[in-house]
Amino acid sequence: MRLARHRLLDALCGEYLVGTMRGRPRRRFERALKREPLVAARLAYWQRTYAPRPSDQMRVQPDPGTWRRLETELGLAQFKRPWWRRVGLWRLWATAATAALVVMVVVQVQQFEGPKQLVEVARLGTKEQPAAVTASLSRDHQFLELRAARPIEAGPAQSYELWLIPKEGGAPLSIAVLGRLDARLVVPEGHRARMRAGATLAISVEPAGGSPTGAPTGPVIMVGAIET
Amino acid sequence: MLDDQEIKRLLLRAAARDEGAAEAFGRLYRLTAALVLGVAQRVVGRREIAEEVLHDTFVKIWNAAGSFDPLANQPVAWMVAIARNRALDIVASADHARVESVTDLTTEGDSDEVLDRFFDWSENAAGPDEAEDLRRTRGFLRRCLGELAAVERQVLVLCYHHGMSHGDLAAHMAKPLGTVKTWVRRGMENLRECVEHCMDPGGAVRGGR
Repeated sequence: MRLARHRLLDALCGEYLVGTMRGRPRRRFERALKREPLVAARLAYWQRTYAPRPSDQMRVQPDPGTWRRLETELGLAQFKRPWWRRVGLWRLWATAATAALVVMVVVQVQQFEGPKQLVEVARLGTKEQPAAVTASLSRDHQFLELRAARPIEAGPAQSYELWLIPKEGGAPLSIAVLGRLDARLVVPEGHRARMRAGATLAISVEPAGGSPTGAPTGPVIMVGAIET
Repeated sequence: MLDDQEIKRLLLRAAARDEGAAEAFGRLYRLTAALVLGVAQRVVGRREIAEEVLHDTFVKIWNAAGSFDPLANQPVAWMVAIARNRALDIVASADHARVESVTDLTTEGDSDEVLDRFFDWSENAAGPDEAEDLRRTRGFLRRCLGELAAVERQVLVLCYHHGMSHGDLAAHMAKPLGTVKTWVRRGMENLRECVEHCMDPGGAVRGGR
């Protein structure tokens, strides 16, 4: 039966709105809302006129887990502005980018050769855990050591990638691709001079083997400024 | 207070599914989730179920953001309606143990207190850009709710705010089902008559038809 011509259409809208229409009648009414524009228009009038506006007293603070679940289930990460554009660091670079500036470096994690004096230069972390990883650098900037407060390992299809954001700005420079955040590595020669106070280290999550583009593609999980 | 214009902007931005969409949706959640959860909790009674309703509501909002009518000027009402519908679906599918949890909530006060505490009747409830007719309608609705017989006002509040079904009402008020059904129906009719009279005192048009 077409509800639009129902002589009790207003009564039905009222019972639907106030919530006493339940179960099958409610389903039937909802089907009619989709099929019969007149019914939808009438309910819209009821909603506009008779649904009161909830006040702030109604508020109940949600569990943070509910948002985290939504973020994962809806895949919101793919609708995020890449972080380096979000912080606006690369505006200049983006316009001036040339092939010469695009540096792709994949560094094998290497063993230290002999003992070296290392000085802590940065603490990388998140808002919740500001010093999750400490970074120490040798005097000649050749060797970098990362030490995690607790073991942090990448999943089987992922790698971590360590980036250097130079003090003077410009694209993030890849320093190393890592499977875990306890590592000793050799800083690529061309980047050693940029490992200085004012620059920033960041770790992003990338596909196994590192970023396919030479720039960070995944979420940045930790950031820390070089302070020495 | 939530500004309808701001909420609408965020909804449309989320619907665009571009690289600002997640940020807009996140902000929409931060602004409105507590309200949605509060509405849901009053209807379903239990916190953990209310969180489920909150989750389902925002899944629906994300998926339906594209069909939100950019001309519609009551986005908060649109979101609340989605939450209420989901909450009502859930209570309908698990009707047991309802009366108990609803009774807890009715300690929130009598129907007048509930109306004035949990609903916003103020001029700028929806932000500065709300259409004049919606502001006026809100005033009519509050006035007409006040003019209903006390028992009619009470049943409408119990149904709308606390999610009671006819059966819940009958149990809660210890009255026959037929009696409470009549109160609800008559309450709605009287409310409508009063509001429509306020909108159109001459009576030339009925209910905007």
